[in-house]
Amino acid sequence: MERRHSRLTYTLITIVSLLTVAPVVMLVIGSFSKNLRAFGDFTLSKYIAVYTDPMLVETAGNTLVFVLGSAAFATVLALFLAYLNNRTNIPFKFLFKVLSVVPMMIPHVLFAVSWALLLNPSNGILNMWLQQLFGLAKAPFNIYSMPGMIMVEGLLDLPIAYLIISPAMASFDVSLEESSRVFKGGPMRTLFKITLPVLRPAILAAFILCIVRVLASFAVPSVLGMPGRIYVLSTYIYRTVTMSLIADYGKAAAIGMSILVLSITLIYIYRYYTRFSDKYVTISSRGFKPAVVELRKGKIPLFIMLIIISFILIVLPVLVLLYTSFIPYIMVPNGQAFAAMSLANWRTVISDPISIKSLGNSLFLGIVGATVGSFLSILVAYVIVKVKTKASGFLESISFLSFSFPGIVIGIGFMWFFVRTPLYATIWALFFGYIATYLPYGIRPMTSAFVQIHGSLEESSLVCGASFATTMRRVVIPLLVPGIVSGWVLMATMFFRELSLSVVLSRPGTEVLAVQILRFSEDGQWGKLSALGLIMIFFSTLMVVGVNLIGNRFKPGEAKDRKPA
Amino acid sequence: MKLRKIMIAMALLLTVSLALFGAGTGEKPAAAKADEPLTGKVSLYASITSIEPIMADFKAKVGVDAEYTRLSTARFISTVLTEYQANKLMADVVQGPLPILEILKEQGVLANYQAKAAEGYPDWAKRDGIYLFGIEYVGLIYNTDLVSKEEAPKRYEDLADPKWKGHIVMANPASHATTISWLVGLKENVFATEAEWMAFVRGLAANEPMFVASFGPTPAPIASGEKKIGISMPKYIVTNAPAPLDYAKLSQPMLGSPRAIAITSDAPNPRAAEAFLEYWLSDGAMGILANDVGEYVLTPGVYPPIPGISETEVIPIRELSDEEIQKWGAEFEKIFALK
Repeated sequence: MERRHSRLTYTLITIVSLLTVAPVVMLVIGSFSKNLRAFGDFTLSKYIAVYTDPMLVETAGNTLVFVLGSAAFATVLALFLAYLNNRTNIPFKFLFKVLSVVPMMIPHVLFAVSWALLLNPSNGILNMWLQQLFGLAKAPFNIYSMPGMIMVEGLLDLPIAYLIISPAMASFDVSLEESSRVFKGGPMRTLFKITLPVLRPAILAAFILCIVRVLASFAVPSVLGMPGRIYVLSTYIYRTVTMSLIADYGKAAAIGMSILVLSITLIYIYRYYTRFSDKYVTISSRGFKPAVVELRKGKIPLFIMLIIISFILIVLPVLVLLYTSFIPYIMVPNGQAFAAMSLANWRTVISDPISIKSLGNSLFLGIVGATVGSFLSILVAYVIVKVKTKASGFLESISFLSFSFPGIVIGIGFMWFFVRTPLYATIWALFFGYIATYLPYGIRPMTSAFVQIHGSLEESSLVCGASFATTMRRVVIPLLVPGIVSGWVLMATMFFRELSLSVVLSRPGTEVLAVQILRFSEDGQWGKLSALGLIMIFFSTLMVVGVNLIGNRFKPGEAKDRKPA
Repeated sequence: MKLRKIMIAMALLLTVSLALFGAGTGEKPAAAKADEPLTGKVSLYASITSIEPIMADFKAKVGVDAEYTRLSTARFISTVLTEYQANKLMADVVQGPLPILEILKEQGVLANYQAKAAEGYPDWAKRDGIYLFGIEYVGLIYNTDLVSKEEAPKRYEDLADPKWKGHIVMANPASHATTISWLVGLKENVFATEAEWMAFVRGLAANEPMFVASFGPTPAPIASGEKKIGISMPKYIVTNAPAPLDYAKLSQPMLGSPRAIAITSDAPNPRAAEAFLEYWLSDGAMGILANDVGEYVLTPGVYPPIPGISETEVIPIRELSDEEIQKWGAEFEKIFALK
């Protein structure tokens, strides 16, 4: 067993290294190179230039508030939604499950622009409506502010947190809570002493993944932060790159190194706080009950609250997109705007061969890429959780390497690497680049699900003569279905709207949806952009619904008495 | 155990060596021959947007597929030089701001092709294989529903009037190279003294403009009425039609960076590249660029379909060196109190 684990660990280290180390190595070299390309004479000048810039201190302060605020908001909201969707008898669960991941499907630029249309202080639709309703002299909200940025970024990262916490919540052994109640533990005491501590790995994983993502986020800081003159690390990097005609990505990589160090530190913090994995096991050989909590009197108020949250935070921005897709240019909704509505943007997008080609490529990358990525993630997650050695810790760290870099930088790292391989300018460069960069999206939900499965299940299977492969296929994987579904959804929706790598690696013939959306945005074609964005959301929803239905069929205990979700 | 460790070391070594010395040292394509058949495709790397009509027209007229890869200014040099260094430059033709093409020329990336279609162009537009064909003109664009012609600025100085406070949108003057060059261009081409220019810049800063990353996001807040006026490109009046946009007719000239185009020295499709450049510089292509894309071109008598533009003086600004851009960016950062 140990030998098999060891072999698997080192095989995975080899595969993951091949995927993630190369671009980072190129960036490290680039950050020490005098040249604008990856290679040149050694210099420390890029590090000195960026780390002695007085603006960096204030930027770091803003970044800290933005990152912690957004990650905390996303995690708390995800916890609340995951609890209601998985553990209670709240009605229309399936709808809320899909709504919780909708922000993941929306191109981030578009989502941020929608919120600017709703809550800009000059003529934001919601602000104007509130001003009229309450006779206010000034707009009550300003989206171009730190709280505005935190809210929009938090919403965008909500699906990441939700898809990590939700499987853990789904596999929660309710008997632990029952034991607490038997010993007179009140609901709050049970929540804080039992429920949340048992879910600690998933909550921490979600929080950390959100932190890393927010650090790399560019759309919200650019669309909402820049107009409000609030600069965070990603916009600082952008400024470093664009403040010169000859963009020096080596400098950007030098800043990225500190984010990389921070990310690796966070992984070790996570490992430290979840090192006693047995404490978090909720599925063991004695069986587990993902029981449903009756909400009783709280059912209707909570349902209404969920409807309001979903409408304001998720449905409203999507409605703005729908509206924008029918108008010729950005207009405040009024009689003139409704009179000008037409299907012109939709016709243009649907008849545009590049948009159609992009859709095909993105679907391929989303479905096939996420499937291959999920398979790799299962194995990596297994090693991380079940083989607690230094090598597995190393594997976990290298799986985060590419992910930790801001998108604006890592794309260049991949370009510097792929240009030296036959993969350059092919769809496979995107395929492997996506998997390498977003591997943590697959690994995180699966590790938090793996943590909850006791090793005795696997050992029993092996003792009974089953091979390792059979044990994985027949015992472990069926119990991991919620985690696998989450990982696949996170990867597929991410691949489907990926921009950072695509904008660097995509070439004619390998265009993807996000690059086409960027084109429309650079041309100021918001109507076409919204139409294409909605097409993207439609196909993402199909993928999410499809994989959830497939997942439900394979969930343990649901194969025989299948019920609609 | 040793074997496994060796395997990992090998894999890492392979990865790094592939990256450092790797497979990307392809063969350079042979030079174009006059009798070579005109087939295949042409690949254009360009910073200019919305040029799909030109690519389609080229295919229709010449019968060669034209592929367009959009490269923002920030990624232009990095992408082209990386590919060139690995002998994998896929571009036959590159189009970008003049300073960028001059840097590429210094690096040996561009060919010195003498275009017949440029014979009628002024001498200053022909620079050893680099051809200037247009100006990335920048003006004061306003919302016609919110600002009347009379209220619109008549001189650049008018934008510093406090009545515009909180109503302006512009690209970030600390980081957007074109905006930095434009502001410096005003000093060198429009204002009589540096003091007057500085008063204008400070007045503009005092009006607390809303900053966006580049010119691309400037027309939307003006069209929607979120902002009344902006420093933007008049081409958006064409591409965003029928949005209520117009440009302020000033008594001073409109400025912009020269747009340039050239053939690459290792063009994979050299014959097609030459055909494309000849086509691009022709009156027909320039007509499409002006009419469909709203660009300001150098071809005499060809103007974008914007009322009044033919009477407006549009002049190219000096290309700033990289050091100047960084210096002025830092200066504007202080003036506009960017933190």
